[in-house]
Amino acid sequence: MKLFKKCLLAGMTALALLGAAQVASAQETDQVGRAAYIDGVKGKKVIFVPISQGMDLNQAWVMVWQRHAARYGFTLEVRDPNGDTNAGIRAMQGAIAEKPDLIIVQNPDVQTYARLLKQAQAAGIKVLQVNMQSATQTDSYVGNDWIEMGRLEMGELAKHCTGPNAVSHKVVWLAGVQTGAANIYMRTGIDEVLKANPELQLVSDQPADYISEKARQITETVLQQHPDLCGIMGIWDNAEVGAGAAVAAAGKQDQVTIVTNGAGAATGCESIKNGLLDVIFNFNAPTQGEIAAQQISELLQHPDRKAGSEKTIFFGPITRVDKTNATGRNCWKPEDIK
Amino acid sequence: MPGSGKSDDRRLGFKVSQEVVVVAISIALFVVFSATLNNFLSQGNIIAILKNVSILGTLAVGMGFVVVGRGIDLTMVAVMVVGVAFSIWISTWSIDFTLAVICGAVLVAAIGLFTGVMVAIAEVPPIFATLAIASSVYGSGRIVFASDVLYAPPDIAWLKFVGNGSVLGIPMSVVIFGAVAALMGLFLRRTRFGRLVYATGDNPNAARTTGLPTRPIIVTQYVISALIAFTAGIIMTGLVTGIDTRLYNSSLIYDVLLVVVLGGIGLSGGQGGVRNVIAGTILVGILTNGMTILNFSYTSQNLIKSVILLSALAIDAIINPRDEQTSQSGDI
Repeated sequence: MKLFKKCLLAGMTALALLGAAQVASAQETDQVGRAAYIDGVKGKKVIFVPISQGMDLNQAWVMVWQRHAARYGFTLEVRDPNGDTNAGIRAMQGAIAEKPDLIIVQNPDVQTYARLLKQAQAAGIKVLQVNMQSATQTDSYVGNDWIEMGRLEMGELAKHCTGPNAVSHKVVWLAGVQTGAANIYMRTGIDEVLKANPELQLVSDQPADYISEKARQITETVLQQHPDLCGIMGIWDNAEVGAGAAVAAAGKQDQVTIVTNGAGAATGCESIKNGLLDVIFNFNAPTQGEIAAQQISELLQHPDRKAGSEKTIFFGPITRVDKTNATGRNCWKPEDIK
Repeated sequence: MPGSGKSDDRRLGFKVSQEVVVVAISIALFVVFSATLNNFLSQGNIIAILKNVSILGTLAVGMGFVVVGRGIDLTMVAVMVVGVAFSIWISTWSIDFTLAVICGAVLVAAIGLFTGVMVAIAEVPPIFATLAIASSVYGSGRIVFASDVLYAPPDIAWLKFVGNGSVLGIPMSVVIFGAVAALMGLFLRRTRFGRLVYATGDNPNAARTTGLPTRPIIVTQYVISALIAFTAGIIMTGLVTGIDTRLYNSSLIYDVLLVVVLGGIGLSGGQGGVRNVIAGTILVGILTNGMTILNFSYTSQNLIKSVILLSALAIDAIINPRDEQTSQSGDI
């Protein structure tokens, strides 16, 4: 009898549960807050003014953002000035006039857009700066901690070029564009390391303008002057392959350590594998793009917050890549991101 | 015919042309740098100077050739980067790289042909025609290739030899520059076609009235300058393992023009030759090398470079004042 009661009870419970489940599935189960999120971002307009879309990092960012835009229904327009500062100013002015919900900007230098960014903020447009900052701070910056990058690169050279076994204490800094944020802040980091290691001797400090042939020419000349050169640090892996080529041509690959940074594209890993570069501080552009995408979502979701009312900074990851770990996620290809 | 660049100015016993001024400044700089900078005079550094100007010099030979015929070719850098980038791009479809380079050369020659036709037959002034074509060539490349920097496939033996090889201790890049310059020199001085280029440049209307085939001559000039630009691109790819199409946005094309004008090839055409290009190239090479060794800042390098170049032009203007006899129609 007891067993029968128990069975009956179990059976009734099961029926009740089934019924409840049916009731629940009749209503749609929405993920908490999803509707509000989609409502917040849908139909919003985002304009990106890059330095040039021809660079690996830019391609990675835009691929990531386009994916988000397509999935959640906001638009992303890229206004590419292709390395031309004047075209960039026009693109920025045009973007401000269109009053989008958000402008994303990669600054060619710290001054050019400084006033335009203030105007955009005054016009109520939120501004996200990526990787290259302006003198004007806006709602958000996502990108490298460039002072840390300078410290890391020169610190790497300090490891190789100080102490009793170093071939010499001579190091070279192949700069990029001297008015660019990366250049200015890296220099601060470099100076800190140089101050901490007074025996390090900075024998050349010339801008290669992010162009590999120029990096090659400078390196070739410097190597003639300082055949006992110990290390070279640069600002972009695609330019420093030129320095690597000059060092290889002089047959000094074992003597000169070449350190640079890069977006983490597979081409950089190839350069490490074929001996043109020794270390790349990899800032993983796809991950940077995802962090920026998070910021895009945040800025679009809160139209009530006034442009420029909160200023946030997100530094992306930096991974030290040499020939032991130049594989996998440290070497992305554009087709991997799609 | 003033083709050899000779003027009647023999007051000082020898011709003090702009070329002589440039050579004199080069020698002066060379002496000063040799005396003050360690290792400047070393064999390695001299080779480094030559190697560093080989691309600029090669481009300037092609530009000089067009300028002698009273043209100007602002497409050279665009053609160089897009031609080589095209070769690298098609080599990614598992086409043999050497074949891809030949395809690139064909494309580049076709662009040169088009430019030549625009200038010679459509009679668009060369400065506008080439400016517009340069930007459309670069623009098309930019759309097709997506990336600015394209890397050549590794392990192409001949390309490695172009970058790192040497003949009798002279780097291949310098050998190629020398060969292009020598061929061009011979072509301009020793062939009938070369003399016709001077005639066309000196006075196109007179040349045409005399019955010279000025249009085919002009078209050929642009095809050759495009192929020379492609050669410079191949040297660059050999040296740094890839090509950076952003060079189009740099001041390289103006540096090329500067070397040509500085060396003494007048933009009005019909004068000067390869020797002038070499004089201009070497001055820029010595100057850049010395300033890099001295670790001058970028801004001061540009300032010093422009002051020295301006003074070369000023000294020439004082020594060889322009008058009705020496100036020509179309002089800029």
